[in-house]
Amino acid sequence: MLAIYILVSSIISLLRTRPTPEIWGYFLVEDGGNFPLTHWENVIGRSKSADIMIPLKTVSKNQVILCRREDERWMIKDLGSKNGTVVNGVPLVPEKRYIVDVGDEIVISGVHCTIAPASLEEAANNRAMRKGDREPVAPWKILLAITAFQAMTIVQLTMALGSDITATVVLSMVALCVIMWVYVSVFKALGRKGFEMEMIAFFMTTINLAVTTSARPGDTFKQLVAMVIGIALMIFMCIYMRDLKRTRKIRPILLGLSVLLLLFNLVFGTMKYGAANWVRIGSMTIQPSEVVKLAFIVIGAGTLEELYEKRNTILYAAFSLFCLGCLALMGDFGTALIFFATYLVVSFLRSGDLSRMILTVVGAAAMGLMVLRFETYIASRFAIWGHVWDDPADKGFQQTRTMAFGAGGGLLGHGAGNGSLKYVAASDTDLVFGFVMEEWGLIIAVLLVLCLVTLTIFAVISIIAGRSTFYTIAACGAATMILVQTMLNIFGAVDLFPLTGVTFPFISTGGTSMMASWAMLSFFKASDMRRNASLALRKEE
Amino acid sequence: MRKQERRALICVLIAVVLLAGIGIFVARFVKDGGKWATFYGNSQIYTDGILNRGTVTDRYDEMLLNCTESGVEYNSDATIRKATVHAVGDPKGNISSGAINAFKSQLIGYDIINGTYDTSAEGKKIQLTIDAKANAVAYNALGGRTGCVGVFNWKTGEILSMVSTPSCDPAGSISNDAETSYYFNNFLQGAMTPGSTFKLVTSAAAIDKVDNISSFSFDCDGNNEFKGTKLKDVSSHGHVDFRSALAQSCNGAFGAITRELGAKTMEEYVEKCGLTESIEINGIDTQAGSFKFPDDDDVKLSWAGIGQADDQVNPCAMMVYMGAIANEGEAVHPTLIKSATFVKEITGGRPLGRYLSKDTANELRSMMKNNVESNYGTSNYSGLDIYAKSGTAEVGDRSDSWFVGFIDNEDNPYAFVVWVKGGGFGSSTAGPVAKAVLNQLISDNE
Repeated sequence: MLAIYILVSSIISLLRTRPTPEIWGYFLVEDGGNFPLTHWENVIGRSKSADIMIPLKTVSKNQVILCRREDERWMIKDLGSKNGTVVNGVPLVPEKRYIVDVGDEIVISGVHCTIAPASLEEAANNRAMRKGDREPVAPWKILLAITAFQAMTIVQLTMALGSDITATVVLSMVALCVIMWVYVSVFKALGRKGFEMEMIAFFMTTINLAVTTSARPGDTFKQLVAMVIGIALMIFMCIYMRDLKRTRKIRPILLGLSVLLLLFNLVFGTMKYGAANWVRIGSMTIQPSEVVKLAFIVIGAGTLEELYEKRNTILYAAFSLFCLGCLALMGDFGTALIFFATYLVVSFLRSGDLSRMILTVVGAAAMGLMVLRFETYIASRFAIWGHVWDDPADKGFQQTRTMAFGAGGGLLGHGAGNGSLKYVAASDTDLVFGFVMEEWGLIIAVLLVLCLVTLTIFAVISIIAGRSTFYTIAACGAATMILVQTMLNIFGAVDLFPLTGVTFPFISTGGTSMMASWAMLSFFKASDMRRNASLALRKEE
Repeated sequence: MRKQERRALICVLIAVVLLAGIGIFVARFVKDGGKWATFYGNSQIYTDGILNRGTVTDRYDEMLLNCTESGVEYNSDATIRKATVHAVGDPKGNISSGAINAFKSQLIGYDIINGTYDTSAEGKKIQLTIDAKANAVAYNALGGRTGCVGVFNWKTGEILSMVSTPSCDPAGSISNDAETSYYFNNFLQGAMTPGSTFKLVTSAAAIDKVDNISSFSFDCDGNNEFKGTKLKDVSSHGHVDFRSALAQSCNGAFGAITRELGAKTMEEYVEKCGLTESIEINGIDTQAGSFKFPDDDDVKLSWAGIGQADDQVNPCAMMVYMGAIANEGEAVHPTLIKSATFVKEITGGRPLGRYLSKDTANELRSMMKNNVESNYGTSNYSGLDIYAKSGTAEVGDRSDSWFVGFIDNEDNPYAFVVWVKGGGFGSSTAGPVAKAVLNQLISDNE
């Protein structure tokens, strides 16, 4: 009941969000009216999808981009138009940046335009409107509910597992609770208001710790540590991504690191469950591809300006191909599929007229590569797909167990720690959906999926008021990654799709997965444009 | 940016795909959850591949099977074990009609809300409708021969006796081969030549379809040659009318009646009497019977009309037909699981449909009484208000005995079927088996 309350209230709060766009100024077009500038990045041109449309034959489809700078001045760049753009009498050299200020005369293929400031009144109005936005739901009630839920989980686990419960396990759960309160209190004190996403994540982490404790009590603490690192990483990324310039600068470094990580993985990787996607360092094993996922999104996302740069597009396409190639060599079909899907979505979002070709070609090449590489592997997994009940002792072993034990859980579940699926290999990772069904019941299992779907829909809603395509693409990329991963995990376990062996974000046991899931949250936080809601935005007075 | 905003909707599309998948899964969960949960690999409810919870008892709460974490426990009496194994099931699950197989999800207490969760961890108790003691009597009466006995309450549908032989002791060592003959439930899964018991179907058709059947007459010379074939009888019956033809089970007379009825009508009546359909008993499907009535071969048609030729009947279906005759033509759905008996006793069992008109049923009833009075001997069934028909089915060189019918008794309205493979003359072999079981059932019910 508590769980349902927690999840439903968070979900509703996120879904009710209707962000009001901010107005940064007006773009006046001679004989064409005035357009409010609601984004930091705008395309001006003849194309219907341009932010400011000038429907004249002489104007190019995507003629110029106009971007707001941190210092509140505007940057203008001609995208190689046919008839040229002139600012204050100076013709723009294509692909070169110029500064324009309010009142400057901009001539776009002979059309006179200018930028007008948002009046003071409007600015005030603007602020008032944003203040009038639906306030994010206060986190305290939900926090209390989660705490109660955690307490009950500890009691239940202790009852079910008895002597297997060590002090470390209990302390880890308590620590999770404390961290949760500290996190919310600190950021609340700093003036932040939106915590729904974190509430969902904390709740899911609670389930994760319970699953881990039930399956392997020794690893609970490790999960906690992973979560702490994940949260730290998320906070860092949120703050770091506030400044796009900074983010863009670090990208080459991320790219280099990712390449190295994957290569390192290829050389030193150890086989585990049929895929060599693990690296052992001392007693720790990490999954580099989980970390690369984050970089993959940062590298795929781009500001509007970058989307029109051929170099940037080629770089992304090449990096994607490299990632897929490495994953193919590792034999990690599931992750490769996630990367590929994310690549497709990100390129769909990116592809302006210029880059579509390159992206399509690379997409096709990647697909071909994957099919070639996984041919036999796919064949055997596909062969049993849909027929797992015909061979429950061998090829359909995991799926049939997932369904049998999961169904045994009914709608309400047997209670944390009472499950039997844990004795099946990979039950707390690949088959974790069945694990949750058995111990927590179908209702909670489905709600967990709804949580992730909510995050996605929230991201899509909030980018309407987004400042830069960078956040839009990053949020959509992260959403795709999480959704496709969840899909592969669940569908694989219940025989709706061949079993691929990927983790369920937040829920599956595994340090790297937990870390990456939390860090992934930063992309959603960054797209949350509600006033003072997200720590990914600078604070407004 | 507008372009990107619009394109972002693709994420919603992916979310929709995910939700659709979850939707499909939940639908399957609702539909097949019970089947999944009872899968033998589910160690929540199986220990070493054997169900670890649930109890099966007979109608008088006699424990027949008790599944525990430490193993399976059966009734302490070996005869009861052998007599009820086809209703209860063997631990290896080879007997498909056994409760341990067929009522698995009820046994483990599966329901969609709680799944297999069970606070007592003892599972549920299933009370079968059978009377274990009477089953043991039936088992002994069959005396080691292959056969089956079935008795049910033709008002409520409760099956009181279901014995099939050969049988096995589930507590002893049993075969791993699922094809072993003692795993076969003759009563539910069998289909055999009905012999003269089938004349009750032909009679029903004749009552309805032959004009002036009461003035029917036939001169039986014992051989009754027809088109070069002898529809032989045990002895010459001489001059018979319709009633005495059934009482004497005169093949010659019934051959003639069948020819008059024709193939179409015969087909219609085997269907009407429920002999060609499988009956679903708490999820267990019985074997459907099969018949061939050629309309271009009078000889074969005659044989088919007296329960020979290609006629194959399922004993349970025959029993239900007997119940329908007793119940003024209305058939009642048989059941093996005892449930809210109070309601059932008042309203009767779930109807299976009208097999016969009330008049036809009553006419048959009176003819079946006449069979007992004029042929089988009322004194042989003293104390039982019995209505019956015997049969001796010729199968190759072998004669299988049949005795089917019902008793009319306010508290014990039972219809029965007894089949003994190679038992010889029907009324003298199968009749006493029926009598023994019925008497035991009545005394147990006092």
